[in-house]
Amino acid sequence: MSRQATIPVTLVSGFLGAGKTTLLNRILTSDHGLRMAVMVNDFGAINIDSQLIVSQTQTTLSLANGCICCTVESDLIEQLGRMLDDRVNRPEYIIIEASGVSNPSKIANTLRYPQFREALAIDSILTVVDAEQFGDLQGEMAQLAMEQLDVADIIVLNKTDRVSREQLDALKARWLYPSARLLECAHGDVPLELVLGVGRHQAGWRLRPVPATAGKLATGPEDHSQLFDTWSFSSERPLSLKALRAALAALPVEIYRAKGVCQIAEAPGKRCIVHVVGNRTEIKPEDGWEGGAPYTQLIFIGRRGSIDGAALQASFEGCLV
Amino acid sequence: MDQHTDYRSSNVPGPAGAADLVLTNGRIYTVDAANYWAEAVAIRGGRFIAVGGSADMDGLIGPRTQVLDLKGRFVMPGLYDMHTHPDLKLAPGYAGYLEVGLEDPTPEQVRQAILDYAAAHPGDGWVYGQYFVRYTFKQAGLVPDRAWLDSVLPDRPVAILDRSWGCMMVNSKALELAGIDAETLDPRHGYIERDSVTGEPTGILVDGAYALIHAAMPPTPQHALKRAYREGVWFQSGHGVVGTKYVHVCEHRLNALKSIDQVGELSVRVEAAISWQDDIFPVKRRWELLAGERHYYRSARLNANAVKFHFDGTHESRSSYLSSAWPGDESWRGHLNMTPEHITDMVVDMDRRGIRVIAHCTGDGASDLFLDAVAEARRRNGYSGVRHQCAHSTTLLDANLPRFAELNVTAEFSPVGWFPSSFAYARAVFGEDRMQRAYNFKGVLEHGGVAVMGTDWPVSSINPWIGFEAMVTRENPFGEEAGCFYGQPISLEQAIRVMTLNGAWCMGIEDKAGSIEVGKSADLIVLDRNLFEVEPKGNIHNAQVQLTLLEGEVTWDRHGEFAGTAHAATWQGELPNF
Repeated sequence: MSRQATIPVTLVSGFLGAGKTTLLNRILTSDHGLRMAVMVNDFGAINIDSQLIVSQTQTTLSLANGCICCTVESDLIEQLGRMLDDRVNRPEYIIIEASGVSNPSKIANTLRYPQFREALAIDSILTVVDAEQFGDLQGEMAQLAMEQLDVADIIVLNKTDRVSREQLDALKARWLYPSARLLECAHGDVPLELVLGVGRHQAGWRLRPVPATAGKLATGPEDHSQLFDTWSFSSERPLSLKALRAALAALPVEIYRAKGVCQIAEAPGKRCIVHVVGNRTEIKPEDGWEGGAPYTQLIFIGRRGSIDGAALQASFEGCLV
Repeated sequence: MDQHTDYRSSNVPGPAGAADLVLTNGRIYTVDAANYWAEAVAIRGGRFIAVGGSADMDGLIGPRTQVLDLKGRFVMPGLYDMHTHPDLKLAPGYAGYLEVGLEDPTPEQVRQAILDYAAAHPGDGWVYGQYFVRYTFKQAGLVPDRAWLDSVLPDRPVAILDRSWGCMMVNSKALELAGIDAETLDPRHGYIERDSVTGEPTGILVDGAYALIHAAMPPTPQHALKRAYREGVWFQSGHGVVGTKYVHVCEHRLNALKSIDQVGELSVRVEAAISWQDDIFPVKRRWELLAGERHYYRSARLNANAVKFHFDGTHESRSSYLSSAWPGDESWRGHLNMTPEHITDMVVDMDRRGIRVIAHCTGDGASDLFLDAVAEARRRNGYSGVRHQCAHSTTLLDANLPRFAELNVTAEFSPVGWFPSSFAYARAVFGEDRMQRAYNFKGVLEHGGVAVMGTDWPVSSINPWIGFEAMVTRENPFGEEAGCFYGQPISLEQAIRVMTLNGAWCMGIEDKAGSIEVGKSADLIVLDRNLFEVEPKGNIHNAQVQLTLLEGEVTWDRHGEFAGTAHAATWQGELPNF
């Protein structure tokens, strides 16, 4: 029996009114060429969000009447299971929009259950934050908001056009943890490279070095390429697992993604796939090198102007054994 | 206490002579179809020896008879709560586990709390409790895992739940004691977080995986279970309950119940159902208990001749097992936790052993399978006399309504689910067609079946009077939301019978309890209001129980009417406030 490809999943979380549906619509209407399934969860008997989703061509599933993280978990498991079993319309990409009052760590946990681990891969967990409203949250709502931030690979700080620089700084100082990978935007305008990274990676998409011409901050999706720099590291010597983990953990917060293959001393004969999204790092050993010589090749994407190639080179050379 | 040794048998006559206790001048609703109303009762040796007018008692009053003038107060038989879990609600809080006690404890505060607890509880025992918060670790630039806990306390097993109860962080010692390593399989409803390269557990156990730790830990301590049950029965006696079922027990829970029974504090008849599954807490030696050790606990107040199964899930999670697909679905009927063959074999076997099966069935497909299994048990065993119990019965197929009577199965409902409230509306997920048939209490009664109520605490309040009122009104007792939910109300007379005689039937003791009749156990309650003279809505739920008698023993005495006498109450004063 041939194994079916792993389906990447993007989980969009964020407080009520943060702009999740706007972001979702932006993804769905963009030219990604993927057969997507969108799962929308609303807290309440009527599923408003599913009605607001603009796409007419994608599969939209509603998980209504309950908070997805606790009461609808079995429903989520069942719907995911059914989607994976559908040989004809099996999606190439799944986006789950959690309700504004969900703790997304529970959903992320569900996706990591053994029965899904091989079939689904969390590509990214984006937590959308309303820069204007967020600072007013108190008590249990503030705790829930912090839990949503905690699980985020990338925090999308939305509606930045409505607040001053001082307000933004105050929000960051109060709410964000030091290692947070943060994207500031308005109207949910997030680079698709960060949202749909694995899908493109698996489809053979390769990162191109960004031209060295300076660009001003982008305002539309077509300008996102101007926002990033890339850097790569390669070697034919094995790396220490512990040192590699430490080097990846120490990446500057402006580096959003890294991916590639590694030769790791502790996993001899295994080809280890490295995947960094925002705050999350995964290193997964796969079958061998199929006769080829082992090597390491890692590619990094970071905010334009933030990559210090010499420092990174030193850091990763330090991992070689 | 002398009642506990003054046992009767065929050739040992009961006490002769005058009554121990006479209650006169009351408005007594007996639930005895031959004579619904009486004015006075006489009690001797724990039983009613006379039920009638006040003047009828004169010949039974001797020099040592205590007489209480009820001054026209309303009296009825004691209540039966046929499904509740005081231990699940109360014992964890009484267990003396580590409680960090802060909303957002920093890693440093968690560390200090662990060290303080370990110092205060020296030895090599478990440090178990709550909680840590993942984002405060992130804010501190730390990763919550076994390495961090090992750096705090390496020599003793440590297990700390996170605030949302989504995962547990354990140290290396805890993993070792639980036998969890790279080879351990993930459980079905959860997983062991692992190093992606080596497969070694990181120390974070998600959802069902932390049951592996609970299985390795000592069970909930006896003192916590005893306190939970003690306060639970106190509360229940104070609300007029004389018979109850504690649905889900294990050996430790039975030991706790036996201890409070032996010191005379078990002021409610308890049927305890042994758990067949480990889904709430680990149940060790369940088969030994079911095979016969259950008899060790038996007394007039306690029996463990029941077993609890979780046949299906819950409606909130769409895992109730339905007879057809869930709304909006083509094939998903919900989750049945056991195969129908497993269910049938167990029901037949338990029935043959005289053990009552209490089956959690929220979906109409689950109860259909349960009734099929009971039918098979009746076919193979004949009528064993064991009345099995369909717990929750949230939605039932119309075709099954007559089968409760035919098969002698009790239909148990939680009436707090059926008055308008956000709790009720959140549960209304079966689809309009099925909701019209949900909570079909009246349907079971009209088809000659026996229906009972359970509070299902802590799912809903342990106060039985709230559901009592909802049976009669189907409206919100507190006036928070107007209108009715789904289903039909029943009459006050029917509701009283449900709360009393039907409960006794469900425990298999209706021939000796459940109504106020000569020869039956002297169980009654005295209220502050006559239920037949008040508007049910807004009044029944806050009825105050002033006196509760079980087997002639005053178990609750709100105003100390028997204080200082030979009939001084088991409980009086302020009720525990849950």
